[in-house]
Amino acid sequence: MREQIITQKTIADPRSHYGDAKASTRHFITQRLTGVSNIAFLLLLLFVVVRLAGEDRGDMVETIGSAWIGLPLALLLGIVTIHMRNGMRDILEDYFHGRTYRLYMMLNTLFCLIIAVAGIGAILKLVFWG
Amino acid sequence: MVELMLPKADRPTKGKTWPKPAGANRLREYHIYRYNPDENANPRIDTYWVDLDQCGPMILDGLLWIKNNVDPTLTLRRSCREGICGSCSMNINGLNTLACTKGMDDSSGPIKIYPLPHMPVVKDLVPDLTTFYAQHRAIEPWLKTTSPTPTKEWTQTVPQRAKLDGLYECILCACCSTSCPSYWWNGERYLGPAALLQAYRWLIDSRDETTSERLDNLEDPFKLYRCHTIMNCAKVCPKGLNPAKAIAEIKKMMVERKAA
Repeated sequence: MREQIITQKTIADPRSHYGDAKASTRHFITQRLTGVSNIAFLLLLLFVVVRLAGEDRGDMVETIGSAWIGLPLALLLGIVTIHMRNGMRDILEDYFHGRTYRLYMMLNTLFCLIIAVAGIGAILKLVFWG
Repeated sequence: MVELMLPKADRPTKGKTWPKPAGANRLREYHIYRYNPDENANPRIDTYWVDLDQCGPMILDGLLWIKNNVDPTLTLRRSCREGICGSCSMNINGLNTLACTKGMDDSSGPIKIYPLPHMPVVKDLVPDLTTFYAQHRAIEPWLKTTSPTPTKEWTQTVPQRAKLDGLYECILCACCSTSCPSYWWNGERYLGPAALLQAYRWLIDSRDETTSERLDNLEDPFKLYRCHTIMNCAKVCPKGLNPAKAIAEIKKMMVERKAA
C-alpha cells in the first residue's frame, strides 16, 4: 500500500495552486454565452454560404462587403475565436500541467489571435474598402 | 495526468485456470484480476468456475464461494451484502457497480471482475481509496453554522428536507468517481462526482450558513470545472443518484453568485 498523507493542501487549493481560481467561473460563463450566441450567428454564416454557392469572386466581395452581412460576420469570427480559445483551454488543462500547459496555452492564445485579427481584418477591408 | 496505456509492470497477464469443481452441473466462469504487491510480478487474470448450485445468485456470492472453496487468497472488501455499505464496489463486466446487488444472471458468458479503475491497487480487488476519502473530507461534509446554537435541534421544514432527497443516499462506494475520465486524468485535483454530490448536499441544506464560504472553496479550475458532463457517474451509480446534475447545480450557483 502506498504511503501518502493527504492533506487539504494536496487537493487543489484555490488560494495557492493551479491557476486563477476566480477566473474559472468567468471562463465557464463566457464559454456558455459565446456558445449560445454562436448558434444564432451560425445561421447567418449558413445563409451566406448557401447564397454564395456557385457564385464568383465578385459576388462574394459584394455580399460580404455589405455592412449588414460583413459586420455580423466579423463579430461572429470574434466570438468564435473566444469560444475556440476557451474550449481549447479546457482540453489543455486536462492534458498538460505546469510549464508545458503554460506554453501550449500561450500558443493557443496566439493562434486564436492570429485567426481573429486576420479574419476580421479581411472582412473589414471588404466592408470599408471593397 | 493522462495515461493512455498502463505502465508495462501494471499490465495484466494471463493467470492460472483453477480446476472446475467436481460433480457440479451448473457452472459459471469468473475471470478475476489478481495482484499481490509482495510477489513483485505483473497482475494476472485468473479463471475460476463457480458451482451455481452451492452459492447465492449475486456476483458477491460467487466471489465468496471462490474464496471459501477454491482460493482463500482472493482479497476483496465486503460487509453488508445488501447495497448499504458500498464496500464491494468493483468493475464488473466493464461497469463499476456493487458486487452484492449485481446478479450473475444479469449477463451471459464469463464474468470479468477488476478493481475500480484508475486507483492504486492494494491487493486483488481492493483499491486504495485514501485520496477519495480525503476529497470527501475536503468539502467539509458537516453542518456549519454561525448563528447561536438553538436549545433544541436545528429544524427544517418538510420542503427544505425534501431538497436533500437524491443526495443524502450516497454510500461513498466510489463507483461514480472512478468511472469518470476527468477523475482518471486529474484525480488529485478534481474532487470527483461523489465529493461534489456531497458538496451540493451541504450547499442546499437550509440549516447550513456557510454557503458562500463553501462556494469559495469550490471555485477552482480543477476542483469543480473538470466535470465535462460525461455522465458516466449517473450511469453507474448503484443507488440511482445523479452526481452530474448536482455538479451542474453547483455551477449554476456559481453563475448566479457572479451575476448577483
